[in-house]
Amino acid sequence: MLSVEESVGGNLPARGPILDLHEIQATVLRPRPAPYFGTHVLLRVDDAQVGRAFLRRLIPYVDSAADSRIAANAWLDVGISYPGLEALGLAQESLQSFPEAFRVGMAARASQLGDDGVNDPKNWDKPFGTGEVHIGVSAFTDSEEKRRRALAIAREQYEGFSGVTVLAMQDFGAQPGDLNALGYKDGIDQPAIDGSGIEPPPVYGRPIKAGEFILGYPGETGVPLPMPQPDILGRNGTYVGFRKYQARVGAFNRFLRANGNTEEERELLAAKLVGRWRSGAPLTLAPDQDNPVLGADPQRNNDFDYANDPHGRQVPFGAHIRRMNPRDTKLTRLTDVNIHRLIRRGATYGRPYDPNALSEADDEVARGSIFLFISAKAMATIEFLQQEWINDGDFIGAGNERDPIIGRQEEGATFTIPKAPVRRRIQGIQTFNVLKGGEYFFLPSISALNWLANPTGG
Amino acid sequence: MTTLEQTHAVQDSIAEKIKKVQELYADAPEVGRIGLERMMAELKAAAGEGQQKATSAGRTGLRVGKVSELTAIWKFAPGGARRLRALLALLGGNFQGADKVGTLHNMRFVFLDNDTRLLFATAYDGEWDPYIVDFSTKLPDALDALLANLEEYPGMHSPAVGDWIANHQITADGWYVSNPNLTVAETRRLERIGKAVDEFLDKVG
Repeated sequence: MLSVEESVGGNLPARGPILDLHEIQATVLRPRPAPYFGTHVLLRVDDAQVGRAFLRRLIPYVDSAADSRIAANAWLDVGISYPGLEALGLAQESLQSFPEAFRVGMAARASQLGDDGVNDPKNWDKPFGTGEVHIGVSAFTDSEEKRRRALAIAREQYEGFSGVTVLAMQDFGAQPGDLNALGYKDGIDQPAIDGSGIEPPPVYGRPIKAGEFILGYPGETGVPLPMPQPDILGRNGTYVGFRKYQARVGAFNRFLRANGNTEEERELLAAKLVGRWRSGAPLTLAPDQDNPVLGADPQRNNDFDYANDPHGRQVPFGAHIRRMNPRDTKLTRLTDVNIHRLIRRGATYGRPYDPNALSEADDEVARGSIFLFISAKAMATIEFLQQEWINDGDFIGAGNERDPIIGRQEEGATFTIPKAPVRRRIQGIQTFNVLKGGEYFFLPSISALNWLANPTGG
Repeated sequence: MTTLEQTHAVQDSIAEKIKKVQELYADAPEVGRIGLERMMAELKAAAGEGQQKATSAGRTGLRVGKVSELTAIWKFAPGGARRLRALLALLGGNFQGADKVGTLHNMRFVFLDNDTRLLFATAYDGEWDPYIVDFSTKLPDALDALLANLEEYPGMHSPAVGDWIANHQITADGWYVSNPNLTVAETRRLERIGKAVDEFLDKVG
């Protein structure tokens, strides 16, 4: 492996350093299986030594990114929040080396994140935002049977431990057709990471420097991001922003019906909001009607830019995917689109999308998406996206409009669909995904996990 | 929702602020004291509830609506004042880099204290902090050439550059914006629309 010191000193090699895959937790670089099943478990550590012993028991089940990508069993990832690191008894000096937004936690950064109104932390599900969530364990697998086996193993690790308490468990899994809670195939667009050894499917743009996603490697500016100390703790680790959304399916369906007279009109509107048809087929490549074959083809469904759509007549400027990755769109503000990307490990939970759900009671049905947003500067990136690209439209010439899918909408919100000769402006956009909770976790390397698990480590 | 108690509490605090100003003006020069009394009704209305007030623009600085102020004072690096003055004279106010930034309404560079310190002031949209790395990957040369004339400039690629700016910022005590909802992008858009409307009217008129 080429060390970071060697590569930073002189000219950067054309390709960045090869990542130490044996050290990086699998979830960072391994896409979720298809179909996928899993569970998020949130735990509190009441005793530092018991917490460390718990980590020791979990480590054998935490895959590294070097392990076979077709895992025979479920794999676990382990994230630790700032209160969790405190509860494990990490030294003050180390604790202080973490970025401020991580230390105070996602709920305390609500104003920077625009998590207000219905998304205000005071409305969150317990235990989010209480400071009690110390460790997050996620199990990913490709079958319900393996998920159950993995959970049984996880349970063996914490049962009988009086110093570790399970606060919440959330199952998740692919819905029929791999659709999310609003009825779209999602999670298609992932950043390609330089040096990961994973050959990405054809995608707009070049691979992004690994240091944007994993600590200890040069980022897009040519230098590594600041890392928690000591080195063994920070290197090859990364951060996760965990955000749980509940989909207001009734409100979404009512909105589509209020603004589309026929099934075709409604589905076109649904596609304009996202920039993709429900099948995942991008509007850029299928402007007039859905193309499920295209949507299902990873070699083609993300291979496009907006060069032929400078006025947003195929994909509106305010559409979800154009906001979250503007590609070559001319933005109003000086922006480097390569430094605001996140690895997303999203998963749906609860009941599947129901196109006939129309009542307000349907808005309260527990179903939605849980996102793991992964980046070496996840806190800063999520705040940037929330402030600039989700809850504002100025950056892309969409005025005050917000992301129609995950924005927190104000009264009287609109969505503009550019069209010749005159644009269509649609009223009645509501908050279709309500934030129900969130936490920041540090996702340590395998060595860092062992170091933290050691009775005298840290 | 605002309760009656909250409304009363706000009114009480406005009354207290007015009382404090009046007390401080008690020993002001007579013209100032009289001026304050004559504008009291106007002051009460401006301080009242529902008026747009300045809020924090992130780490430092003030913001009204979407427009923020950044005011900073730096010491010049040795020779920095002469270099910067020559560079500014060459540009003659034509900052193409600032145009690209897309959020800067204006900038001023004022040399203070016998060319030993620089006062920099700008009105800009939103917050600069979230874009600091964008500046360093997109505009490093222009910014390095400009800012290297100032003391202890760490370089645009340094992760410390954000703190270096924030540490020299002085939050204004007063900040007024006439069009608080007009960002640079929105202004440019309205300009284009206005022009198109005029062209249309020219054709039909």
